Amino acid sequence: MSDAEFTTARLPGAAAVRFRRVTTERAPVRIALVLVGIAFLGLFLLLPLVAVFVEALRGGAAAYWTALVEPDAAAAIRLTLFVAAIAVPANLVFGIAASWAIAKFDFRGKSLLNTLIDLPFSVSPVISGLIYVLLFGAHSWLGPLFKSAGIQVIFAVPGIVLATIFVTFPFVARELIPLMESQGRGDEEAALSLGASGWQTFFRVTLPNVKWALLYGVLLCNARAMGEFGAVSVVSGHIRGLTNTMPLHVEILYNEYNFAAAFAVASLLAALALVTLAVKSLLEWHYADEIAATRKH
Amino acid sequence: MNARPDIRPAEAVALGETEGPAIRVTVESVAKAFGDTPALHGVSLDVAPGELVALLGPSGSGKTTLLRILAGLDAPTGGRVLFDGEDALQLTVQQRNIGFVFQHYALFRNMTVFDNIAFGLTVRPRDRRPPKAEIRRRVLALLDLVQLAGLERRYPNQLSGGQRQRVALARALAIEPRVLLLDEPFGALDAQVRKDLRRWLREIHDRTGHTTFFVTHDQDEALELADRVVVMSKGRIEQVGTPDQIYDAPASPFVFGFIGESSFVPVEIADGTVTLDGASLDLAALGATHGKATLGFRPHDVAIVSEGPALSGPILSERRHGGMRRLEVEVGAGRHRAEIDVAVDVPRPASGTIAFRPTKWRVFPA
Repeated sequence: MSDAEFTTARLPGAAAVRFRRVTTERAPVRIALVLVGIAFLGLFLLLPLVAVFVEALRGGAAAYWTALVEPDAAAAIRLTLFVAAIAVPANLVFGIAASWAIAKFDFRGKSLLNTLIDLPFSVSPVISGLIYVLLFGAHSWLGPLFKSAGIQVIFAVPGIVLATIFVTFPFVARELIPLMESQGRGDEEAALSLGASGWQTFFRVTLPNVKWALLYGVLLCNARAMGEFGAVSVVSGHIRGLTNTMPLHVEILYNEYNFAAAFAVASLLAALALVTLAVKSLLEWHYADEIAATRKH
Repeated sequence: MNARPDIRPAEAVALGETEGPAIRVTVESVAKAFGDTPALHGVSLDVAPGELVALLGPSGSGKTTLLRILAGLDAPTGGRVLFDGEDALQLTVQQRNIGFVFQHYALFRNMTVFDNIAFGLTVRPRDRRPPKAEIRRRVLALLDLVQLAGLERRYPNQLSGGQRQRVALARALAIEPRVLLLDEPFGALDAQVRKDLRRWLREIHDRTGHTTFFVTHDQDEALELADRVVVMSKGRIEQVGTPDQIYDAPASPFVFGFIGESSFVPVEIADGTVTLDGASLDLAALGATHGKATLGFRPHDVAIVSEGPALSGPILSERRHGGMRRLEVEVGAGRHRAEIDVAVDVPRPASGTIAFRPTKWRVFPA
């Protein structure tokens, strides 16, 4: 029996030893981990979401519809859309400008700006609202100034817009800064050396390079702008039909034990969140190649 | 620039050959400091029209800084840069009209190969922008030139590293640059691709005739490709010369050590010859004056001797080196380590020591 035959003959026996990938766990561990994950998701994410829709539709479709078209609810929906329509573009422009400055230029106070952008994340939204009350309230020094010009800031729409902009400040910038920093300045230098102006470089090179992160940032920013409660609650004054946004309207209905209507409006907000996620997933799935191209290169 | 039967008129336009002769680039004591850290100590350089010049040096030698100053991507803290006698520092990066090729390509990832190459033409103001058909003709001619015909609809991430760098060069050539600047163009590529691209870049240069600078830390690349090599170290130019001059007549120990392989032994000069530990080695001092000096030689420029004046000492190690065997020898009373190459079939001496004489050498005053 030659050496080769000997080895071959022994091989079936050797197969009795199970080889696992070093990065794979044993089956019981895998199953346990997956079950914990699913249980957690179900309990804390899926169940509340389902509960919202179940409660909303408890009184039937007609009651659901009535709760949404009722004048105060309709006003709240309009106001929420109006505020988001101002806050999101404002933070889009700011987010692009700030991340462009931070990622592509060196200047004094860069790290300070970088830290300041995160402030709304670290400060409680209630505090953010109070800041605006202190700044523009009846006893502040800015408030009477605006009042004499005929502009009511606090307990009115301008205050709600300001508070919302403050709270949703970081979303676009935080998406863009890491990506822009990782992409470096090479592409911009190439564009300039080829004769492009600063604006051409920005619109034809810088912006397309980050368009997916930008879209994602805008989606998140929008979701938060429409759903913001704390800061808006402080500055709004809760005037029905005038300064109530959707989240505030939900709270009022709930406090009045009008659960079906509260959940009906809440379900609209929840649906918005679902649509946001769906759009994001759809984009990622549809443009996977292009997204991969802008990330790594 | 004319009388090239192999280039059709349309192609000649695409390659920028209607732009007139290549320009002269003059660098006059250009200095650059980043904060308190000096990167360039007033370097001067005169490059003839159509010359292909390598800026060669280790990292931190200032070669990329100089290139970026030529491009207008960085501003010097002192000195002048002249393009055909015209002060280039007064021009913005866009006005300088240079073709810059980046080490990591810097291709626009959201654009196809075609759009990348066409970019420099499409961003021109309307009155100087060629018509669409003309742009298309030029881009396709350039793709032909860089041997990537048919790939115009690919995206950069669908190309290999070598292909990307060729697109980057085509993009730079598309704007009919006055000067071509390449920053470690082959630095991110593997060895075989690098060799192919080297030869190919030389051919492109011979056809387009741009005054060209390229930065490299690879001496083989510099010596093989360039008309003249500028050796840089610590923000200064050590030597400017043809590859032959740089290799055969290095002006300083740094150049000698950086280009090719080298061994150094500290010696003394007495009566016009090189001495070690007081004994003459019978090697001409080559102009070095009396006193301490450094003897430099290439490991392969030595002869093993059995008698007469020689460098000798115990063999510390030996290893295979290409077709030769490389020995590390401890030389003289100072026990300086020198490397020499011997034929593979030379038996290792039983004594464990070896004596040799350089057949070619340089002497640098200490």
